[in-house]
Amino acid sequence: MDPIHQFEIKNLFPIAHIGGVEIAFTNSALFMLIALALILLLMLGATSSRAMVPGRLQALAEMSYEFISSALRSSAGSEGMKFLPLVFSLFMFILVLNVIGIIPYTFTVTSHIIITVAFALLVFLTVVVYGFAKHGLHFFKLFVPSGIPIYILPLVVFIEVMSFLSRPVSHSVRLFANMLAGHITLKVFGGFVTMLGALGFLGWLGAILPLSLTVALTALELLVAFLQAYVFAILTCIYLNDALHPGH
Amino acid sequence: MNADPSAIARGFRLSTELVAGVLLGAAIGWLLDRWLGITPWGLIVFLLLGFAAGVLNVARAAGVVPKNTVDPPASER
Repeated sequence: MDPIHQFEIKNLFPIAHIGGVEIAFTNSALFMLIALALILLLMLGATSSRAMVPGRLQALAEMSYEFISSALRSSAGSEGMKFLPLVFSLFMFILVLNVIGIIPYTFTVTSHIIITVAFALLVFLTVVVYGFAKHGLHFFKLFVPSGIPIYILPLVVFIEVMSFLSRPVSHSVRLFANMLAGHITLKVFGGFVTMLGALGFLGWLGAILPLSLTVALTALELLVAFLQAYVFAILTCIYLNDALHPGH
Repeated sequence: MNADPSAIARGFRLSTELVAGVLLGAAIGWLLDRWLGITPWGLIVFLLLGFAAGVLNVARAAGVVPKNTVDPPASER
């Protein structure tokens, strides 16, 4: 009945002890490995035949590739294509983790903020490191909009820096909050069904309402699972565009 | 920057942009207060800056403000 219980991290078996801290193999790690295996199976299965007329699996893989590559090309230009492996991996990994999470009795890895922060910091640090490596100090142009009077420039630069620093926050919180809120809502409505069902015949009648809502919410969650992976990938493209062209 | 394919995603994106700015400003201000012992000035200043950054983020995410160009001069690009 506890709607938070589904997010509990369980240690499955210990791997190592480093400095008195136990490093354990958790259910989170297990589901990440499952997601990885699913993606590998999909991609290897899809590319094994290399048919001119693609089969179903190959069509799925080609569609997801073209989806991300066209999104990356349209927001970061053709120079951005060198980041395709990063964006595509992030998209597939998050998408599969989100979708696995909808299946009952599974664990939703992306509902933990530490995971999404790790994803967002990976993107953020990629942008910063690549931006400085490619443009050097010109990367700071990102914080200095053109055409600003000199007397308010320091304030504007400060706000721009804050805006830049807040990116990984919103990037990670969005994915985490969507998955967390969606799964808690599902669990709460599912809990209503059993609570009303325990009341007898009238309760059974009343339980129809939350049950149908649970069904509808599950469909919505499927949409959200895809949408959040997509939004994460698109924002990654937009942020990478800043690393490629800071002067815009 | 028409990044979001649906209204829910768009709405959620805009709200998180604002919240992220304010949260970051509050966090920086609070840490500066603790390190430098200037309570409450760091929190006041950085919360306001964070709020401004959040509003800027929202305006950019909504496509109201073009990216990083307040008044694009004709000579550049």
